[in-house]
Amino acid sequence: MTSGIELKGVSKTYTRGGETLTVLDNLDLSMEAGRFYALMGPSGSGKTTLLNLIGALDVPDSGHVVVGGEDLGRLNRDELADWRAANVGFVFQGFNLIPVLSALENVSLPLALTKLSRAERRERAQYALELVGLADRMSHRPRQLSGGQEQRCAIARAVVSDPAFLLADEPTGDLDRDSADQVLELLRTLNSELGKTILMVTHDPHAAESAERVVQLDKGRLLGIAERTAEAR
Amino acid sequence: MGDLTRLVVRNLARRKLRTILTIASLVVAFFLLCTLRSLVTSLQAGADSAIASRLIVQSAVSLFVDLPQAYQPKIEAVAGIEQVSKWQWFGGYYQEPRNRFAQFAVEPRETLEIYPEMEIVEGSAEAFFKNRRGILIGDGLVEQFGWKLGDTVPILPELFPHPSGPGTAWEFEVAAIYHPTQRNFDPKMMLFHWDYFEKTLEEGPVGAPGVGTFVVRLTPNADPTQVMATIDALFENGPQRVQSTSESEFQRQFVTMFGNVPFFVSTIGGGVLIAILLAVVNAMLMAGREQTHDIGILKALGFSDGDVFRVLIQQSLCVCVIGGALGIGLAKLSEPSIGLQVISLIQGYRVTPSTMWFGAALAVGLGLFAGAAPAWRAARLQTIEALASKD
Repeated sequence: MTSGIELKGVSKTYTRGGETLTVLDNLDLSMEAGRFYALMGPSGSGKTTLLNLIGALDVPDSGHVVVGGEDLGRLNRDELADWRAANVGFVFQGFNLIPVLSALENVSLPLALTKLSRAERRERAQYALELVGLADRMSHRPRQLSGGQEQRCAIARAVVSDPAFLLADEPTGDLDRDSADQVLELLRTLNSELGKTILMVTHDPHAAESAERVVQLDKGRLLGIAERTAEAR
Repeated sequence: MGDLTRLVVRNLARRKLRTILTIASLVVAFFLLCTLRSLVTSLQAGADSAIASRLIVQSAVSLFVDLPQAYQPKIEAVAGIEQVSKWQWFGGYYQEPRNRFAQFAVEPRETLEIYPEMEIVEGSAEAFFKNRRGILIGDGLVEQFGWKLGDTVPILPELFPHPSGPGTAWEFEVAAIYHPTQRNFDPKMMLFHWDYFEKTLEEGPVGAPGVGTFVVRLTPNADPTQVMATIDALFENGPQRVQSTSESEFQRQFVTMFGNVPFFVSTIGGGVLIAILLAVVNAMLMAGREQTHDIGILKALGFSDGDVFRVLIQQSLCVCVIGGALGIGLAKLSEPSIGLQVISLIQGYRVTPSTMWFGAALAVGLGLFAGAAPAWRAARLQTIEALASKD
């Protein structure tokens, strides 16, 4: 099985308006592969920053981030990009689909970084969209989709290249309850049936109920990890 | 079409009006650049194609100062000279002042021998020689004014008034029509008899005319430099000093009478280029900023700095190459009509393949240059900063 996520002594500060803000403070954290984690905490607790570090979108000031056995601090910008393409799928609160491309084109975009043929890329993207229930929306542009459909399209894009890790930042934040439930159900399925390691940042306790484990952060420090029983989920 | 290429095309269509206007401005700029460059190269080609065995003898003071007719036998006596013909610029117009073209009083037989580029296609040389009022005209004038053999052509003079009084036209008769066998030879000249010109003027107050230029044909083995030096030395002590030049040099001097045309044209072309460069850079910077969020998405998906650099550069290249190609094409398509407009100054106006390649290279260079700043910015963007930007 793929290695999980290890953070050792990770710190991250930002300087805003001349003031230095410590977002993550000497954080140690270990997460198992193949699990579904919810990352919770108040605003400013460092959830999104942690997600960005694990997804190699950002680099820590100090400490080590090891994901899937790869120490991300050893990789340069291009190597980090390659690593992201191969190992991580992102799901954002604001969906982050490219507005000028159709759903199918958005989903097939990460496959441009693979060696797959054009036909194979198309086939895979179609399959991913079918998986999220958007088989009849493939040629639609993002603005022609509802919020829930956009997020499902984003999930299809996140999993189309079959990454081991799925990082979701408030994926249900902009959705109504029904759409949010569909998205959460989809994430649970991806975890349970495809074995994806999922790390989901959320404020919503209802969303966090979908996870197996809930990681609590506050002021850049780990408060604890709570395990949820299968019955509770 | 690759996924990123599709993205490039869709991004161009994102702001259709801006893309269309940018391309339109490029079309105009490249049309102007190619046309202006063609004017310069055609001027140069005209001078370069001049026959090396012909010399022009003119006043050392100015082309507008006449030489005595008595110089002709002295010039003819110089070793290495085969033939000499007197030429005088008549400077009249047909019906209206805007209908100006080159009219010369010449010695018909000698002129036709010196200028084999004039192929008579209607009438005959004999008819021209025999008819004292006869004229030999280029087929460009036939096309412009619809003249035909036997037509009487009244030319209103500006330099040589007719003895019958002011406002009286000189009347000529079309005796022959020539077609230039060389692209750079003027198809809109009118040549008439020196004798008719001289005799008519002698009837009035002006008297016998002087000679504008002597056109000289060298013998096959003559050294032009030596002959020119000899001719100039002959008249060093007056009454009029002369300047002998090769035909190509004469043509260059003739063109520079209108100012330093290549310099002005190149300056205007350079100005056009700078203006369009700024406009395209501005458009591409705006496009790059608008796509910041998308660039963040691409980077989050795993596309490298180089990939996003190429996306932005390709957009710029695409706009510049389309605009450049259309502008160059337009310049080529308009070649015949522009050629007709400028024929009195430049014969054989042509948008050459080298000009078209020059334009193409410029379009590619412009595309690379204009796209470099936004592409570089995109490549250096931090992913999370790009993602945090508004669409």
